[in-house]
Amino acid sequence: MRKPVLIRPVTEAAKWSHRGAIMLTVLFSGTVWAHDPIFGLGPHVLYKGGVEVHLDAERDKAGSHREDAAAVELTYGLTGDWAAGIELPYARMEEGSASASGRGDISVFTKYRFWRHDTLGVQESTAVLLKAKTDTGDDNAMPALGTGTTDTILGLTYGYESIRWYRWASLRYRHNGGNDAGLRRGDKVLFDLVGGWRPTPPSYYEPDTVWLLELNGEYGRRAELNGADLANTGGTEWFLSPGIFWTQRNFAVKAGIQIPIASALNGNQQKTDYRAKLALEWHL
Amino acid sequence: MKTIRQLMMALALLLPLVAANAASMTYTLQVDGLACPFCAYGIEKKLSSIKGVAKVDVDIKHGLVVVTMTEGAELSEQLARDKVKDAGFTLRSFSRIP
Repeated sequence: MRKPVLIRPVTEAAKWSHRGAIMLTVLFSGTVWAHDPIFGLGPHVLYKGGVEVHLDAERDKAGSHREDAAAVELTYGLTGDWAAGIELPYARMEEGSASASGRGDISVFTKYRFWRHDTLGVQESTAVLLKAKTDTGDDNAMPALGTGTTDTILGLTYGYESIRWYRWASLRYRHNGGNDAGLRRGDKVLFDLVGGWRPTPPSYYEPDTVWLLELNGEYGRRAELNGADLANTGGTEWFLSPGIFWTQRNFAVKAGIQIPIASALNGNQQKTDYRAKLALEWHL
Repeated sequence: MKTIRQLMMALALLLPLVAANAASMTYTLQVDGLACPFCAYGIEKKLSSIKGVAKVDVDIKHGLVVVTMTEGAELSEQLARDKVKDAGFTLRSFSRIP
């Protein structure tokens, strides 16, 4: 009876050795909303009864590990300050010569904007996000397409938006569950500071462009295997992330790239080379 | 003679439109929080869903939303306030254009 249990942790440990259980935690946690930052979190929700259709493509490259993911997100506006939705990802992973593709872990999320201060041409607001990533991806594939765990993310964000300037700040905590093999990826803290600039004043019926620059910080605790810390896991990474937000009425295109500027990863881990994201969004 | 007939026909076509415009009411809503066109789409959606609304124009720079009603239809301030709130903004003032 114990044999499979003994074998599987070794396999899991090998599976996670290169990136120290960091990669999947990041790629499937980036729900983007309306006029929010590309990688960070903003307080935007959706109008009551509104539907947001969001198509997302991401690439995460770190040494020999490459992870591509595409996701469809559907969001519904419950009230003018409260929205909820579902994220359906499709992932392709490469680890050296091995690759796998298929369904990733499905997530459900909700965001509530609990404070809003509106003045002429300016909206300041604060929101809280709750997201749950389910264990629905193929975690038996090699490399794994799902984490085999149920994870939860709690986020708090503040945003200031004006006709010319934008600024956001956010903090997210990700609690990662353990899988059947006794592996628990370390919890993560994500911190974001974002500035945005609109070069030309907006007109409702004309295309609108906002340039973004984000500072994204990520701290991850060490992963544990049956209660023992895995040495080559966890640590801190900082990114500088330029991005663009282009919209025309109810259609938006967002794109950005995360460039690592500092890292302090534990043990022997491959540092992130870059992460890129492209998103298309419709409000219906 | 042909020209006169054409003019009469054009006038006959235009008259109902002129009369309809004269009878339709227009309201100006000063909305706070409007900062981007993508977000303002919700305003158009919510106000357009009101029965009797013929047209919604949004002026982001000045925070103005102009609502034109169909003939005989009226818009109450409370309904406008509720719809603006549902869109995620704040109605500062409401006035009917004479």
